[in-house]
Amino acid sequence: MSATIEPVAPEVIEQSDDRMVLSMGPQHPSTHGVLQVVLGIEGETVTKAEPEIGYLHTGIEKTAENLFWTQAGTVIERMDYLSPLSNALCYILAVEKLLGITDNIPKRAQQIRVLLCELSRVASHCVWLGTHGIDLGAISIFWYSFDIRENILDLIELSGGARMHPNYIRIGGLNGDLPEGFLEKLDALIAKFPQRMKELRQLLQANPIWQDRTVDVGRLSAEEAVAWGLGGPNLRASGVAYDVRRAFPYSGYEDYDFTVPTRTDGDAYARFIVRLEEMEESMSICAQVRKKLVGGPVNYDDPKLVQPPKQTIAISMEALIHHFKIVSEGIRVPPGDVYQSVEGPRGELGYYVVSNGNNKPWRVRTRPASLYNLQALKKMAPGNFIADLVVMIGSLDPVFGEVDR
Amino acid sequence: MPSSQVPPLGSTAIDPTSARPPIDDAEIVRITPDRLRVTLQDFKRGGMTMLLDIGGVDYLARSPRFDVVYHLLALPLRAANVAQVGKPRRIRVLVGVEADATTVPTIVDLWPNADWAEREIYDLFGITFEGHPDMRRIQMPEDWEGYPLRKDYAPRGPAAERTPRPAFANKSNVPAGTPPSGAVSDALQREIAQARKGLDA
Repeated sequence: MSATIEPVAPEVIEQSDDRMVLSMGPQHPSTHGVLQVVLGIEGETVTKAEPEIGYLHTGIEKTAENLFWTQAGTVIERMDYLSPLSNALCYILAVEKLLGITDNIPKRAQQIRVLLCELSRVASHCVWLGTHGIDLGAISIFWYSFDIRENILDLIELSGGARMHPNYIRIGGLNGDLPEGFLEKLDALIAKFPQRMKELRQLLQANPIWQDRTVDVGRLSAEEAVAWGLGGPNLRASGVAYDVRRAFPYSGYEDYDFTVPTRTDGDAYARFIVRLEEMEESMSICAQVRKKLVGGPVNYDDPKLVQPPKQTIAISMEALIHHFKIVSEGIRVPPGDVYQSVEGPRGELGYYVVSNGNNKPWRVRTRPASLYNLQALKKMAPGNFIADLVVMIGSLDPVFGEVDR
Repeated sequence: MPSSQVPPLGSTAIDPTSARPPIDDAEIVRITPDRLRVTLQDFKRGGMTMLLDIGGVDYLARSPRFDVVYHLLALPLRAANVAQVGKPRRIRVLVGVEADATTVPTIVDLWPNADWAEREIYDLFGITFEGHPDMRRIQMPEDWEGYPLRKDYAPRGPAAERTPRPAFANKSNVPAGTPPSGAVSDALQREIAQARKGLDA
């Protein structure tokens, strides 16, 4: 009995003798979600790389237009799902600018916002480090970095009630003060962090295999990095010391003493070192916030904008009415447009928010840092090996919730 | 906000940019599409090295209907520390686009990262960028009809694309004939007590 062998559907379309078109992803594990890269290859060398995005498009900007100002933060947090608090902070800061209450936010609320954003930066870099390591075959680093991340997510859960999307930062302040026991847990994390960082560095920094895979891979000059609109560690690894926290300070970042790590090599290894140093700087900011943390309210005192504390609703008629109005009708924001940016873990994260004076945003346009970072792959990839493409994607640290929105 | 400015809830016809509160976030330049390339070329020569973002806004009832919004940043290329960057200049360029002439010249040759940003505006607003090397949809499927971020596009999309509500969503999860909750609770308590007895024995 002779079985006919059906030809396997070719995933690879042959063009000529050596040249092929290869589709990498969207189910490839090293594409961090749902990225497809259509590659032109000659042997092992990439001649052209065209990333195809949109597999995770969920229309968050459109959804935000159909929610109240007070509700839109919940979906906006889901864009960059590794650092939801940076997204929330940026949007809320933009709304507060339109409301003209930027200077009225209590000091304690600003400090807690900074604290949580820096913690989520560390948590986000932990995910990057773990998954980047796995992409390159270094499995152990994943467990070490996710240990830190677990501690941070516990803190975020304590503050807002959810690990990933707490919706804790609200217009005018925060959703309640920090609970009891939060600061003790934070102190424990700050105390243990230097040792943990030492372990992370010992695992990879001087590792010859790691260096072989990352040094000189995905090199971008300062000119190229600026022209392609790169942000954050990717830009600073190319030697441009631009950090939104320093250039356009917000939420009292000018009060804290921190350096902006830079490298000039512009390769995957430089981005790795910059991110490691950033984690240490972020933790140092957290320690400074902890030391300087003041008491007092965490919300701007205007019942027309901020929901009254839940316990007052049962005893105060006014509180009940304000609560009802904010929940059922939202708040109104004066007409105008504003561009607000913050330094997210992936670079300049911006929101261009337009209001027409109504209770819903007219337009919420994101400046997605990941989108512009990922786009530079088109410039980086040609001339390199396919195996190095995995390193490049990992070193750019894209988050597809933000790329596709 | 003065009460004369307060629009009725759900109203759509107002131009927010005309009644802008004084916010110091960027220098604002408003131009027409035919002046776009000349203006941006001048800005680039003048040191606006980075194109931060291109966004679109649909004002529906206004003329021109759309705004294409460019944000530029003056980053020095040789800046080894934050002091050399300082507070870089930020410019917002607003380009009004008429509803019946939705074409804007491309700036991909000036800043390569305009590529995906322009494709996204084409995809979601239906504004075409003349001279763009690869003007096709980026987020939505290639055969999608309509432009989702336009204000006259229904939030849940065209009826044909809507996911139907599953049948169980329209039904109560309490079956008919269920006794009032007190009785259920009593029955449950009895069941639990029975089970406990079994365990103890």
